[in-house]
Amino acid sequence: MSNIIPDVALIDNSDERAPLVLVLDCSGSMLDDNKIGLLNDGLKTLEKELKADPIAARCGRVLVISFGGDNDVELMGDWTDAMDFTPPDLKAGGMTPMGAAMRCALDEIESQKSQMRSAGVSYKRPIIMLLSDGEPTDDWQQVAADCKSAEAQHKVNVMAIGIGDQANRDILGAFSNKGALNMKGLKFKELFIWLSRSIQAVSRAATGGTVQLNPVDSWAQIQT
Amino acid sequence: MKWKVFFACAAGKYHLASNAPCQDAGQYTVVDDVLIGVVCDGAGSASEGQFGSDFVAKRVAALISDSIKSGQFAKSAPADCRAYLFAIVEQARSELDEIAAARRLTLRDFACTLVGCVASRDAGCFFHIGDGFAIYMKEDGESVLSQPENGEYSDQTYFVTDDSWSEHLRVTPLSEINRGGIIGLMSDGTSPFAVNRPKTGFYRPFIDPVVNFLKDATEENGNQALKHMLEDEKTYQITSDDKTLLLALAS
Repeated sequence: MSNIIPDVALIDNSDERAPLVLVLDCSGSMLDDNKIGLLNDGLKTLEKELKADPIAARCGRVLVISFGGDNDVELMGDWTDAMDFTPPDLKAGGMTPMGAAMRCALDEIESQKSQMRSAGVSYKRPIIMLLSDGEPTDDWQQVAADCKSAEAQHKVNVMAIGIGDQANRDILGAFSNKGALNMKGLKFKELFIWLSRSIQAVSRAATGGTVQLNPVDSWAQIQT
Repeated sequence: MKWKVFFACAAGKYHLASNAPCQDAGQYTVVDDVLIGVVCDGAGSASEGQFGSDFVAKRVAALISDSIKSGQFAKSAPADCRAYLFAIVEQARSELDEIAAARRLTLRDFACTLVGCVASRDAGCFFHIGDGFAIYMKEDGESVLSQPENGEYSDQTYFVTDDSWSEHLRVTPLSEINRGGIIGLMSDGTSPFAVNRPKTGFYRPFIDPVVNFLKDATEENGNQALKHMLEDEKTYQITSDDKTLLLALAS
């Protein structure tokens, strides 16, 4: 007798979403060493990786927030499903309003969650990834404390990542209970490949437990 | 009443890629005409999740089976089910706690979920801590479900090993099991394609062909076919998690 069951429908009925907010530094210093160009290329890599993985393409919900200019925080488009994600063309220049950008990210997460709840869609714990090569030029202390507290209440998982030597790792680290990581060289591409895989990883945490992440050694500087 | 029971488990892409073992486990047995089935899913975040799921599945099934053989299990009193199952899970849990202590680990390192059934013609129940699904579908399609408990996030759940496990032990009575009925137990890797979109029962375009096949299959052949299906490339497009399915056909 054959061991193939004929005509079985194998389709996804689950509707699960994995929200991701990218909070990206577009201040003037991002022009040095063409960091902004590498970041834009990194976002294209993210697009390619997300779309190449059927689970990430279906589950991922992405929002990009840039900060720079005259203390400007800008939503680069609306929340999009990963399969429809088109990377924005980021331009660098001006200040580093990191506090306002992270406030915006926290608010966006909560409003996206309530939309998903009312639509009856289940979701994984949202991720905010903050990337910066400097330090804030606005008020950040209260927002950073709110980020930590949101994390402690399991509302969000914050990843703060410093780019290059000028990134203020102490301040970046104040936004997450896990502290900040520093990027090894300018490994934007490796970072975004890792991020795409983290979205669909089986990152189940017990209540009160920490979120398990894939190894970061492809892009992070290991502190000694 | 006769039970035909089939069981299969397939490692998810996530574990295959990292060469880690499947962290799902399952155990079943039939004592007289009582079906005992258990499926456990080891937590990805626990170092010994695989050991935990395997241990809990085996011990819970064995403890229920022993108590049925010794006549302690009141088959016809679903109201007593909860206290009875509470004692069984507590026993398995304390055995695991001893193993953990001997290895200088904590229960949390063995975190796993639990979904199971005890069912005879007259009565039965589902018991459940955490995610996964249990479904009893009558021949006419009407279904009784034990739903996953996730908290706010779909990638977060409750475990047998949690301190608060007893608050999360859910018991769903089954009033009677009829011929032609089907009981299914599954981990959360299987439910996205085995359960329908409103989560009111099996996804019929999935389960009907499976049951049609299994009706005429030997146990060995049926188990192979189930495993083959759980390893279908299409399932890897749906989930990267481990997939386990236990199906029992009543006749």
